[in-house]
Amino acid sequence: MNRQLIYILILAAITVPLFLPLGLKHRVTPEVERFYQTIDVLPAGSIVLVSFDFEASTVAETRPLAYAVLRHLFSNNVSVVSLSTLAEGTGLGYNFLSEITEELGKKYGEDYIFLGFRPQYQATILGLGEGFSKVFPKDYLGNELSSLPLAERVKNYDQINLIISIADGDLPQYWVDYAQTRYKKPVLAAVTAVMATSYYPYLASGQFSGLVGGLKGAAEYEVLLGKPGLGFKGMESQSLGHLMIIILIIIGNLTFLSQKKRI
Amino acid sequence: MPLRLPLILVSCFGLFMLLQFFWQATFLDQAYGEVLDWVQIIYLFTLWVGAVHLIKLHLKKSQQKKKEAFYSWVTLAGIFSMLGFGLIGGKEQGSLFSWIFDNVQVPLQATMFSLLAFFVASAAYRGFRARSREALVLLLVAGLVMLGRVPIGNLISEWIPDLANWILNFPSMAARRGILIGIGLGSVATALRIIFGVERTYLGR
Amino acid sequence: MDLSTTVAAILTLFIFSFLYRDNPFYKFAEHLLVGVSVGYFLVISIDNVLIPKLSEPLLKRQDWPVLVPLVAGALILTRLVPGWSNWSQVSLALVIGVGAGVAIPATLQAQILTQMKASMFSLEAPPGSSAALYLFERSVILLGLTSVLAYFFFSKEHKGWLGSYSKLGTYFLMIFFGATFGYTVMSRLSLLIGRVQFLLGDWIGLLN
Repeated sequence: MNRQLIYILILAAITVPLFLPLGLKHRVTPEVERFYQTIDVLPAGSIVLVSFDFEASTVAETRPLAYAVLRHLFSNNVSVVSLSTLAEGTGLGYNFLSEITEELGKKYGEDYIFLGFRPQYQATILGLGEGFSKVFPKDYLGNELSSLPLAERVKNYDQINLIISIADGDLPQYWVDYAQTRYKKPVLAAVTAVMATSYYPYLASGQFSGLVGGLKGAAEYEVLLGKPGLGFKGMESQSLGHLMIIILIIIGNLTFLSQKKRI
Repeated sequence: MPLRLPLILVSCFGLFMLLQFFWQATFLDQAYGEVLDWVQIIYLFTLWVGAVHLIKLHLKKSQQKKKEAFYSWVTLAGIFSMLGFGLIGGKEQGSLFSWIFDNVQVPLQATMFSLLAFFVASAAYRGFRARSREALVLLLVAGLVMLGRVPIGNLISEWIPDLANWILNFPSMAARRGILIGIGLGSVATALRIIFGVERTYLGR
Repeated sequence: MDLSTTVAAILTLFIFSFLYRDNPFYKFAEHLLVGVSVGYFLVISIDNVLIPKLSEPLLKRQDWPVLVPLVAGALILTRLVPGWSNWSQVSLALVIGVGAGVAIPATLQAQILTQMKASMFSLEAPPGSSAALYLFERSVILLGLTSVLAYFFFSKEHKGWLGSYSKLGTYFLMIFFGATFGYTVMSRLSLLIGRVQFLLGDWIGLLN
């Protein structure tokens, strides 16, 4: 089979459901349910640290994840202090925050702040435990932290109820290694699918209070929120895409076996 | 540059950070906070080495009389226009810097990685062969997880998502835990070797 | 179909043209991406890190201890100067030493001890759960964990009982890699779905 034909088949498998929805039902997995419940039980006025630990390459997965998590937090009147440990995540994280807070009428400085980018995750995560204003004298927009009402409430991890890492790499693990080990903070991870299997041990040991993985995880979260969004819309294409890959694997193996028999 | 100075520094700072975890004192906490601050700033310079090296490389290539020189000019134009727009025009939403990020960088980066979907499909057809029992196990689990993690799996049979979930939470998780512990032991051993000066590859020696 | 979306769509199609074959449009887009990414990183690092952490403390508040990381950072840049590059080892030593020091307790606690503790279980099933299933699942975890660790134990030759046990570890690893492959496919397809939704929805406007 010509490789361009394979490309066309995959493209077709993904595109057709966008025009002809199949109306498939979603089942929510226990790990997403745990993630949802951990946020849902937070009292109004809690402060959550959200870290945008991803790059632009995975925006198709991280955008639905970020939207769902931020919508849930702000809908429950939880305050958000956010930052990024990767340069591209800074711009994207700020954009996602701005879109959701505008939608829900949240005020910068009171309901949320965006601290910006810091390199070297070890020093950043550990430094925040010593003092937020030491690591971030100013926020992403150049405001002194002392001028922001929400920043005045947060000195270090003692005032943070929960840490959420939206990531496409190893950063959720480092939030556990450094923030949870030393400062005993609960951590939630919303990660791209490629990283999800690596984090099940952390979920099983309780180091993660919940885990949302990939576009499917985002879709399940949207089901729990009762607000279907980007995750939900992509799942039918995902379904046919997976079926196509499995068919290609089967055809490839049958071709291989038949060639083997001839020899 | 004598070898001793970097090794002494590694040992001093490494031991200090290790001991600080167990020993609480105000002067130690203050020193600890300062050191963490320094590391963030120094680390930034290490990233800049890469950026400056790239600029030097493309400046050299752009002077050559080859077809490829045009592409080096494109790279340099990208770097310096972002620098100019960002540092002079600001990075707020609505600025030119922000526009280039949203409409050039993000789409390009996202599309570059989306090509992998096509390559995965091609690799699935051409390379994913059940040549051995181990490969067959891998293939079957992959297929089960792929079906179990999308709504169509539930449509075929309710057992598929349940089984996929069980595999992820038990046997797969157990294997990953073994890998994690192994990596952890290796990391601790390597860190100790670095602190005691046995491991020197990071110095290029 | 506004200008911004059109520019993004055209650049997207330039990258997709690689699927046919390498061509000047793809090369242009690739080099533009590299340039813009590096430029973006430099701006964010200067505006968001360097100015508030280095130049403002030094120039506005005369915070002299900040000279230490400034000098150390400058030493790192000597890597670019032939003949002076050895001086960068001083700063690298600081960063590596700190990284190694903080990693030891964190890794021991989070990756080794907590994970080992999570693998231990009581023989009594929690109330409300099936005892047989509980014991079976916990045994699978213990078997998987120990057989994978046996597989990675290279101080003894994999023969006899160790050989058989590590072979079992191989199968557990294949299960993990199979699950990872399944999720990797999911991830890659999601990235493509995102681009297709952008082209057909945001750009051409065919999707609601």
